[in-house]
Parts: sequence; C-alpha cells; structure tokens
Amino acid sequence: MTTVAIIAAHLAALVVWPILLVGIINRVKARWAGRRGPPLWQLGFDLWRLARKDVVRSSTTTAVFAIAPWIVLAAALAASLVVPLAGPAPLGFRYDFLLLIYLWGLGRLALMLGALDTGSPFEGMGASREATFGALLEPALVLVLIALAAATHGASLGDALATRPDDPQAAPVWVAAIVALLVVIQVEGARMPVDDPTTHLELTMIHEVMILDHSGPDLAAVQAGAAVKLATACALVANLINPVPAAAGRLAVAGGLVAASVGVALVIGAIEATVARLRMRAVPQYILIATVASLVAVLATRWRGLA
Amino acid sequence: MTALSLAIVVLLAGVVLTTTLPGRTIKFAAAVGSQALAAGLVLWAVVPVLVGRPAVLDHTYAWSYPFEDIRVHVDALAAFFLAWSLPLTLLGTIYAHGYLARSFDEGRNPGPHFALLNLVALSFIVVYTVQNALVFLLGWETAAVSAWLLVIWDYRSQKIRFAGFNYLVSTHIGLFVLVAAFMLMHSRTQSMDFASFATVLAQPGELRDAVFVLLMIAFALKAAFFPMHTWLPRAHAAAPAHVSALMSGVIHKAGLFGLLRFLLFLGRPDEWMGWAILVFGLLSALFGVLSTAAQRDLKRLLGYSSTENVGIAAVGFGLGCLGLTWGRPALVVAGFGGGVFHLFNHALFKCLLFYAAGAIYRATHSVDLERLGGLAKTMPWTAGLFLIGGLAIAGLPPLNGFWSEFLVIGGLAGGGAPSALGNVALAVAAALLGFVGATSALAVTRAFGMAFLGTPREAKAHVADPPASMRGVMIAQAVGVIAVGLVPTLGLALVQPVVAQFTGGDAAAPTAAAQLTDVQHGVWIAVAIGAATVGVGVAMARRVRRHVTWGCGYTVATPRLQYTATSFSALFNRLFEVVLPSRQRGSLPKDVFPTKDGNLAIDHADPVEGRMFEVLAQNEDMAVKVSQRVPDRPRLSLGLGLIVLVALVVLALGGRA
Repeated sequence: MTTVAIIAAHLAALVVWPILLVGIINRVKARWAGRRGPPLWQLGFDLWRLARKDVVRSSTTTAVFAIAPWIVLAAALAASLVVPLAGPAPLGFRYDFLLLIYLWGLGRLALMLGALDTGSPFEGMGASREATFGALLEPALVLVLIALAAATHGASLGDALATRPDDPQAAPVWVAAIVALLVVIQVEGARMPVDDPTTHLELTMIHEVMILDHSGPDLAAVQAGAAVKLATACALVANLINPVPAAAGRLAVAGGLVAASVGVALVIGAIEATVARLRMRAVPQYILIATVASLVAVLATRWRGLA
Repeated sequence: MTALSLAIVVLLAGVVLTTTLPGRTIKFAAAVGSQALAAGLVLWAVVPVLVGRPAVLDHTYAWSYPFEDIRVHVDALAAFFLAWSLPLTLLGTIYAHGYLARSFDEGRNPGPHFALLNLVALSFIVVYTVQNALVFLLGWETAAVSAWLLVIWDYRSQKIRFAGFNYLVSTHIGLFVLVAAFMLMHSRTQSMDFASFATVLAQPGELRDAVFVLLMIAFALKAAFFPMHTWLPRAHAAAPAHVSALMSGVIHKAGLFGLLRFLLFLGRPDEWMGWAILVFGLLSALFGVLSTAAQRDLKRLLGYSSTENVGIAAVGFGLGCLGLTWGRPALVVAGFGGGVFHLFNHALFKCLLFYAAGAIYRATHSVDLERLGGLAKTMPWTAGLFLIGGLAIAGLPPLNGFWSEFLVIGGLAGGGAPSALGNVALAVAAALLGFVGATSALAVTRAFGMAFLGTPREAKAHVADPPASMRGVMIAQAVGVIAVGLVPTLGLALVQPVVAQFTGGDAAAPTAAAQLTDVQHGVWIAVAIGAATVGVGVAMARRVRRHVTWGCGYTVATPRLQYTATSFSALFNRLFEVVLPSRQRGSLPKDVFPTKDGNLAIDHADPVEGRMFEVLAQNEDMAVKVSQRVPDRPRLSLGLGLIVLVALVVLALGGRA
C-alpha cells in the first residue's frame, strides 16, 4: 500500500511539479522586471498545444532525430525515480546516484545526437558546448554525492540527502554540497548564468539551439524532459534544506519538501533576474566553483569509510 | 586436457591447410573450420572449470629439453580468458573474408593471413595455460610476431611498414623487460616454473618490488597503458579493421592477463602496489579519453579509447589490490569484479566498433571524420550497430559498459581505506572516472555525429552496408553487448570464478552479482519507461512533413558549413591544450575583404611521442630551455614556487614525524 502511495505521489509530482517550477521561476523573473508574467501553468499549456500539432522534420534527419526527444524524456523520468520529489523516492539502493548521473548522461547524448542529425552548424555548436560543460561538471556531481553518502553513511541518495547541519561535523559538508548542487542545477537545467533560456541569438545559446529543428510532440517531449531534469536537480537541494526532520512523519516531510522546493525555485528565479549570462569562456571557471565546493565537501567528511 | 592439446593440433592443421590448399574459399573454410572446432574444444575444456567442476585442470607434459617439464594449468582465470578469446578471433576471421575480398580479387594470397589468425588463436591457448616461463614466452612471441605480420597487410605502403616496425620494436622492448623479470626470479629459484615464481613473489622484499615493477612495465606496454601507448594509434590506423579489432579487443588483453596472473601470486600485495596500479590506470584512462576527443582518424580514435578502457580496468585491479592489502573483501569484489568484467565488455564493444569502422572504410575509402557525414542514410545497419557499440563504450545504461564502470566507480565511492586521506583519494579517483565517462560520451557523440549524421561532406559513390558475412559478425557482437547489458548476470557468471580466486573462497565476500541486483531492477524500469515514451512518440507523430533544416535565415547552406569534428571538440580541446597540443597548417583569409581563399588544417599529434623524440634529440638543452621560459610566465613560475613550498612543508613535517 505504502509503495503504491509513494509511486503515485512521485508520478503526480512528475506531472505537476516541473510545470509549476518553471512557472514560479518565470513569475519571479517577471515580477522582478515589473511585469505581471505568464500564468504559472504556462508550460503546461505550451506542452498541450505542441502535443496536438503535426511534426515537421528536416529532410536531412534520420530515425535518430525522431527517437532522440523521447529518450531525453525517458532518461529524465527514470533518473528522477531515485530522488525524493514529494515523499520518499520510489527507488533506492546503494550507489543509486550513479544511475542518476549515467541516465542524465544518456539523455544528454540523445539530445546532442538529435542536434547533430540536422546537419545545422548552429545545432552542432550547441551540442559541442553541451558536451564540454557536461563533461566538466561530471567530477563535481560524482564528488558531491559521494560526500553526502559518506557524511550520512547513507546507502541510497534518499538517505544521503537527509544530511542536516545540526551535527557540527556535517555542517561544512552541508554548506559545500548546497553550493555545488546550485551550480549543478544551473548547468544541468540550462539556467542563468550558464545558459539563457530566453535568449534570441542562436550564437549565445546552449540548450535552446540544440532543439531549433524539433517541432510538435517532439519539441514537447524535449521541453518536458528538460523541465523534469530541472525539477530533479532542484529536488537535490530542496531535500538538503527541508526544514522538517525525518522523525516528524512521512506526510510532514513531504510537506516540508514541497515548501523547500518552492524556496529553491524562488532563489533560482531571483538569480536569473539579477545576473547576466557568463561569457562561454568563463563557464568552465564557473563550473570549477562546483568542483572545488564538492572537493571541500569530501574533505570535510573526515571520512572513515562505509565498508 | 586432451581437448586443449587437440585444439592446438587442429589449429596447426588449419595453418598447414590454409597455406597449401588451393582456392580462396577452401582456404577460408579451412581456417574457419579449424578455428570453430578449436573454439568448441576449448569451450568443452574450460566451461567445467568456470562452473567449478573441477576447479582446476592440471597436466604435465614431459619435455626432452633441459628446461624442466611443461606444466599446463587451467584455473578460473585462464578459463575466463580462453572462453571468449577464441570465439572472438573466429568472428574476426569470418569478417576478414568479406573485408579483404577486394585484395583477394586482385590476386593476393589469402593463405598466410588466415594462417596467422590461426596462430594467434593458438598463442592464446599457450599463453593462458602454460606454467613454464620459457614456453609462455614462446606463446607471447607467437602472438606478437603474428600480430605484426597481420598489421602490415598493406606492406607496400611505407607508412604502414613504419607503423608495423614501430609496433614490433615497442612490443620487444616489453619482451626484454619481461625476460628480465623472469630471469630475476629464475636466479633465485633455478626453475622456470610459475609455481616457483610464486614463492618469490609471495615474500615481501626488494626482489619482489623490483620484479613487480618490471612485470608491470612489460604488461603495460602490451596493453598500451599511458605513457607506453605510442605504438598503438599508429598500428591501429595502419592495420586492417579486423586486425585492429582483434589486437585491441582480444590480443592485447594478454597484458592484463599477465598482470592478473602475477597479482594472484603476490598473495597480500603491499599498499604501494595497489596505489601504483590505480594511479597508472587512472592516468591511462584520462590520457586515453582526452586523446579520443581530439582525433579525426576514426581508427586512431578507437585505438586511444583502448588505452582509456584498459585504464578503467586497471583502476579496478588497483582497487582490488588495495582491498587485499586492507583485508576488505567488498573492495576486492568491486575492484577485480569490475575490472575483469570491463575488459570482457571492452572485447565485445571495441571489436564491434572497429568492425563498423572497417565497414565505413570499405564503403568510402576513408576513416577521416572531416570527410565523412550522412552515412546513416546509406549505411543504416552500420550506423545502428556503431551506435550500440558507442553507447556501450560511453558506459551508458542499458548496455554492457555501464555495469563494469558501475562496479568500479561504486567500489571507489564506497571508501574502505584505513585513513581518511585514502578515502578522499578513492573518491577523487571515482570523480575522475566520472569525467572519463562523460568525455567518452563526448567522443562517441562526435564520432557518430560526424560520420553518420548530417549530410555527406564529400560526394561518394556506391556507399552501402557491407555484405551479410561482415554484417553478421557485427550483429553477433552487438547481441553480446545488448544481452550482457540487459542481463549483466550473464557476464558476471564468467567473471565470478576469477573474483573468487582473488577473494580466496572467502564465504563472507559478497558476489558482484548481488551488488548489482537492485541496480538491475532500476535499469529495467528505465528501459520500460524508454520503450513506453518512444512508443508514445511514434504514435503521436502520425503526420510528418519534411522540410529543410532551419538555417537561421541563411538559405544557401552547403555541407561544408556543417560543424566539423575539429570544431565540435575545439572548445573542449582548448581547455586541455597541455595534453592535446594542436598543429595548425594553412593560411587564413586576411583583411576585411579577402582576395585569396584561405585554408586551415588542424591536427593533434601524440604529445608523448613528440616529447619523447624531443627529449632524445635535445637532451640537456631541454632543461635549459624550460628554465629560460619560466621567468616570462608568471603563472608558471608562481605554480612552480607553490609546488616547491608544498614539497618543503611536506618534507619538514615528514622529518619531524
């Protein structure tokens, strides 16, 4: 019964939360700029509209282009299964964070291949950037999740994310991990200051330029996948700052998690509203912040080992 | 044991038949028939060992020479290597018939080529089972010389002869080192038998340390570890595709076999040995993968990725050794399980990728990524099969490369070192392997995207998939990749007996399969989700219209405007300029309104090879030059100063302790 409830809650969170998250971020940005902003459910309307459209595909493309968007979506959905989105994660096992990282890698590879399949130089450029920044981020992502697992002696990601600063030994790990994961959100979620989701100039894009040729349901799949991935990345931080302790009961923890997630969305929106996009050459240095922070987190665990 | 002797006789008979019988088809049939029979006989002999009944096969052949008897010993390690080496060689031989068909049409005699492939198969049986050092070296040499002769198939080209010679010299430098190691042990025991070597290696001390270093160098040269890999990109680019495949996937695994065989003799290794193997492997993985990101020759690219993958396997071995030192069975299982599994997986997907590269070469007469493009439309089978191999080599689920990388990285991530610093070092190694995986994904995206996607960069006539025999070989390899990917226990069944040898039958040690059960469920769920979304996607795209690629308003796009392989990795390569020095030739257009056409060619030469020759040619002038450059570069001098300071502090602290 509880398993069914957990999966149901997770599925509901997968459908509702990514849309709402993007809505909240956009609303914060709009309010900051003195506009009213689109409805919170705008992404949902967009996806619904795209899903009913016909598909136009470039005559250059092959089956890779047709399948890639759906692999992007599937990889994002499957990766989210090991992260507590609203309530415990449906899947949890030792080193499940590696599955998350590799599934994200699979989604990234599918997106890049779809882009290269069009033969467009712009999309090749976007894929090149995505590949480079993704590779540079990988050590930080692995290190920070190892640090959390080591600090809590937690077997699964769900346990590891329950690190709290009340233990003085865990405090530096906690702070460093949040810093590293914020950068992870911005890189993996293609947000400012790494990538500008609203830019109009192809030469400055990363994620948006790779999906220039997708249309209709294909485009809906890519956008839904990107939103799910963003929500998953945000949930990593939200779990860390969830104010409700695990002892308070499952429902209370879930409530706290939702509140914390909204908080993360507000922070990301605020950053987007106030910060300009970095020059492409500066992005590797920005990613270095995450690497250093995650190294600090690992060093701070004063690790005695899990085995 | 009779089966193994019989297999050797059958292979030798095959050698005689292929060289003497007339007719191409009959020669081919003799080679394939003898190899299939030998592979069957070998499997007949080794499968019982792998399932543990009996645990080992032992036999001693009397030898009339004054070098003791020839002892043959098939344990799980030998059985594991034999179980896949011969069948994969057989697949390569079948591929050769289609791949070299045009040369045979022109009158080349196929006999010697097939005979050499038979000899390679024979050398596996000798190297993996024989316990007499002298006979072991004979088998080792048979493999090396056969591989050399196979590489120089196109011996009329000077470039290819040079690549072959380069390989021959390198592999013999390795042989000298190996002989030195054997002589050292022989001087102590007066015996050529491996069992007597084991008594030397089991005692900690200076002799063991020296022998260990020599053995590691010899086996590292064979398996093309950094920085002993310089022969590899040349040889792989020069050899016919199936020879590259067999060398990378099967023949040079003998280096890793040697490493494992002598690690078994060590008993409880010293801590520095584990760290040495781990660091060595990590450097190879990093250097190999960075080089794959820069190559424009597809076969050179795949060659460098061999260095990367033996590096990943060696990181596993290093972790396993540390587990033995620290008495942590979990680390032994993760390390050796992951490492051994990875070299098996590598044999499956690397051969597949080389075969696909051969299919490209056969159809287009080029493996230069800058000249290819759009092959997915004309060669759909090759494209699909290459993609499967590529996803596997990038370690992505649900293919076989994922599982072995998961075991190794998971083992590193779990820690278990007695000191906190050791754990941090293991975590950093795990992070670096993560970087290796992501960079490998970049290289695969680049190789597949540039060769198969987009539009052709040069017009080519008669581009088509290879004939059924070659395609069948690739499909067989791909089936292995997918089957082991979906059900990793299939591969682990082969690996587990080897791991049990290292844990010494410790009942408390977890099995690698047990560590993967939950992950397997996770991956199956992911596969189900993937199948469902792709199904939804196909159902939703009922009406599809075709249009040109959007050019952002620019309408006279030509294929040459596409992103090239070099431009794809330019951003990445610039960050790693130290490891990937680029060479630019040509002249760029000048002024605002250029009058002359420009041209530009960017190459990435091997930095190690270049530096090696530089050092040999300039000797001490080098040091002078470097020291002269330091004052001009504040960052370099600051960095050097910092390193010196840290070294002094460490020395001072060490002196006090």
